[in-house]
Formats: sequence, structure tokens, C-alpha cells
Amino acid sequence: MLKVDNLVAGYGKVKVLHGISIHVPKGKTVALIGSNGAGKTTTLRALSGMLKPESGSIVLSDRPIMGLTSHEITRLGLAHSPEGRRVFATLPVMDNLLLGAFPRLTGMRAKGDVDGDVNRMFELFPRLKERKAQLAGTLSGGEQQMLAMARALMLNPDVLLLDEPSMGLSPRLVEEIFHTIERLKKAEITMLLVEQFAAAALEVSDFGYVMENGHIRTSGEASALKNDPAVKAAYLGGGH
Amino acid sequence: MQILMQLIVSGASVGMIYGVIAFGYQLTFATSKTLNFGQGEALMLGALVGLTTVNFLIGNAIGNFWAYVLMLPVVLAFGALQGSVVEWLGVRPAMRAKSEAGWIMATIALGIIFKNLAENIWGRDALRFPSPLPEASLSFGGIRIQPMEIVVVIGAVVLMVAVELFNRYSIYGKAVVATSNDRDAAGLMGINTNRIITFSYALSSMSAAFAGVLVAPITLTGATMGAVLGLKAFAVAIIGGLSSGLGVVIGGLILGITETLTGYYISTGYKDVPGLLLLLIVLSLKPSGLFGKAAIKKV
Repeated sequence: MLKVDNLVAGYGKVKVLHGISIHVPKGKTVALIGSNGAGKTTTLRALSGMLKPESGSIVLSDRPIMGLTSHEITRLGLAHSPEGRRVFATLPVMDNLLLGAFPRLTGMRAKGDVDGDVNRMFELFPRLKERKAQLAGTLSGGEQQMLAMARALMLNPDVLLLDEPSMGLSPRLVEEIFHTIERLKKAEITMLLVEQFAAAALEVSDFGYVMENGHIRTSGEASALKNDPAVKAAYLGGGH
Repeated sequence: MQILMQLIVSGASVGMIYGVIAFGYQLTFATSKTLNFGQGEALMLGALVGLTTVNFLIGNAIGNFWAYVLMLPVVLAFGALQGSVVEWLGVRPAMRAKSEAGWIMATIALGIIFKNLAENIWGRDALRFPSPLPEASLSFGGIRIQPMEIVVVIGAVVLMVAVELFNRYSIYGKAVVATSNDRDAAGLMGINTNRIITFSYALSSMSAAFAGVLVAPITLTGATMGAVLGLKAFAVAIIGGLSSGLGVVIGGLILGITETLTGYYISTGYKDVPGLLLLLIVLSLKPSGLFGKAAIKKV
């Protein structure tokens, strides 16, 4: 579904990704873990066109998307729930959701049942329903995270990129977010998940990739990675 | 008391013109953090294109009123086109080069070019714009108002309300607001933010052109009419706040009314001073403008 080969990207002269390859099969959840500064967020930014990659190849559902702008990539079915949530603060929750479906509402992507999807989002995140008329900027951090995820899902994406959905949230909310990810996985949403909580991320994923200094250090079945002594020592210690 | 009311009413219609032009500054600032410093020239071009259109229609035996009505869509379309050209030639290259100030010089330069162009096409003299309505003043309890002054206020309000409704209720309008909120995130929604910025420039110049044909029948039309209006409207945008739709209306009214009051009670020679003093005071005490919104942000 999403196939990344030898991707090189960075900011100006500073290279961050030194040729990484990731494969996200249809209907599967793939975790991308690694320490701070390993290049996880940069990877997602390069995939969704927020950052122009230098070389390599990115193929989404058999279409090469490398070098396209972020709006073109989104219209082709790649949704990105970015780091820091980036909800539209001065717009109500409802409008944020509708904007997630912008390509569907403007004839640039199969329309489907937008209203039905809004209701499904409210079912998945009941708190958003209570707050649907409230400005997104006035939501709590956890609610904003839910909104960012719901907004990305409103694209009806072929692949969903989730960047640190648990960042800055209380333990209870982190658990809630992971439950939601499990539900999305059961619904066979194809996901690439970047997480600091490596153990929990591997728990909900089918496959995992471990990043280090802009390289993929190791990868494999999530269950195998969880028990890999080297991975355990480096990323799964300390109760995370 | 009656004189005071008269001055306030006259000031209000000028103020609404400032408000509409300032509204145009806001539109582009919201989406791109850039402004068209040739906004006054957009107004002037709109007024002159409007004048030529109206004269042509009147020459073809259409009455003043209907000539004016038929001219409006022509001028609005022209304004939108002119704004797109400014964005494409002046702003986009500077933004692509990540130049902090390139767009300032580029929009000023385009403004000068437009002014020279207008001088060559329409000459340097001020021209009379045929009024669509009777020019005799109406009297309300002794306060005299020109019918066209009422049209100015109504037209300004209609324009701003229309844009607000578009932003609030259409998906494209929401896309404009989303782009103002967070351009990168808007791109992730599949919104072509370059096109949104071009659109905001088109809408901005369209507002200025509209202001031009609103004010033209009251004042005179000519290649030099834009510079002062554009500058004063910029002061209004700063006083009212570049991010507050209501702010420019209030700011425009404040400036328009202080001008007429100063002109009458002190001297017309000083009529620009209080507004500019107010600008300096606002800049030093509340740089985001009287009604500028503090960003809603919660982490």
C-alpha cells in the first residue's frame, strides 16, 4: 500500500534521513520507533510532502508520490495527523472534521458518505460530539489529539500517518488513544504509527521499524521486535 | 449639536471606505502574512475602469443608474484579475524565495507601474464620475446626507458580510480560514494553499476596486486618487487590528470621523493629524491593534 525505498531527506544542508526503506502493507499497522532525533517525524513529513525529499522513491497504492506537494499527496489518499496536532484553532470542531474531508467535498476524491463518516468519528471519539460547536483552540490537549486523528480519518485515507498521538497526554488519555488505535486496526485502516511509547506501539502493530540517526536499524514482526534483546535494552526499558 | 451630527455622518461614509480598503489588507494578511501596498492603486484602477465602463454605457443610451449597476460586475471581475496579477508577479516569487521583505518592494513597485499606466490612459486630471443617484442631499432632521453616502455604507457592509458568510458556510471559505490558521496543516487537508493565497489577493483587490466605484461619485476620479486612501486605510488596518474584521469598521469610522471633526473645529490643514496620532498611540500601546485578537493557543 505504501512503499518507501531509500528515502533521503533533510532540512537545507542538514541531512536527517540517510536512505530509509519502509513497507506498510494494506490493512496493517506499522510502528516506527526510535529515540528522540532519530528522524521519525522527519520521515512522516517527507512522506506527506511537508518536506521535499532529496532522493529515493515513495509509492502509494502503485502511484509514485515523491516530489508531489502535500495537497496533491493528500488527494491521492495519504492522511497525516501531524506532530503537535495542528488543529485549526479558530474553527469549530465540526469545521475541522469537514476540512479533513476537503478533497471529498470538492470533487477531488471519491465523496462517499461524509455525514456518515462524521457520525462514525463522533462514535469513535464521543467527546468530540459533545464539543462539536466549540472552537478547536479551546479543547484540551487530549481532545485536540482526538480531533487531529478524526480529521485525518475524514479523508477516508488509503494510508494514515500518525505522529506521536500520545505526546504530552496523561497516562489515562494515552491508554484511551491506544485503544482507539486498536479499534482502527480492527477496522483494517492501514497505519504508520510513530510513537515514543515503543512497547505500547509494538503491542498494537503488525510490523515494526527501529530508527537510529536517520537509518533503519532493524525491522520485523512487531512481536519479534518486542522480544529482541537489543531492541528491548535500547527502547523498551524504563517501563515504556 | 446638529453640526456635530452632520460631521459624524459625513465622516462615517468616508470611514467606511477606509474600512473596505483596510478589509482588503486583512484578507491577504490572514492567508499569507503579506499585504498589497498597491491597494490604493487597485482602488484607483477600479474607479477608472468603472468610469470608462459607465461612460460607455451612458454613451449607448443607458441611464446613469443602470449604467452604474451594469458596471459593477465588470469592475469586480477586473479587480479580481488585477489582484491575481499582483500576487503572481509580486508576492509569489518573494514567498518562494522565502524573502522577508521582497513582497513589500514588489507590491509598491507594481503600484507605481499601475499609477503610471493610469496616467497614460486616463490622463493626470481629476475626472467627474457620473453619479447613479440624484446628487441633491436628503435631509434628516436637518442633517444632510447625499444618497450616494448611504450607498457607500450599505455597499461596504454588504461586501464584508458576504465575505464573512462565505468563510463561515462554504467549504472553500473554511479552506481560506484553515489556511490563515495553519498553512502547512491546510496543505495536509488537500487544500492548495497557493491557490487560496491568489484567491485572497483577488478578493482583496476586488474589495478595493469596489471601494473605488463607491467613493468615485462622491469625490473625483483620477490616477492620483489611490495613494492617500491606500495609506490611510493602512493606518485603519493597524488601528483596528490586521486580524479583526470588526476592527477595520470601527477603525475606519474613528479615522473618518476624527478627520471631519478636526477639519471643522480646528483646521482642514490638520485633519490628518489626529488619526495618525492615534496610529502612533495604538502602535506603542497595543501593537496588535485595538481589536487585534490574541492567538487562541492551548497545548
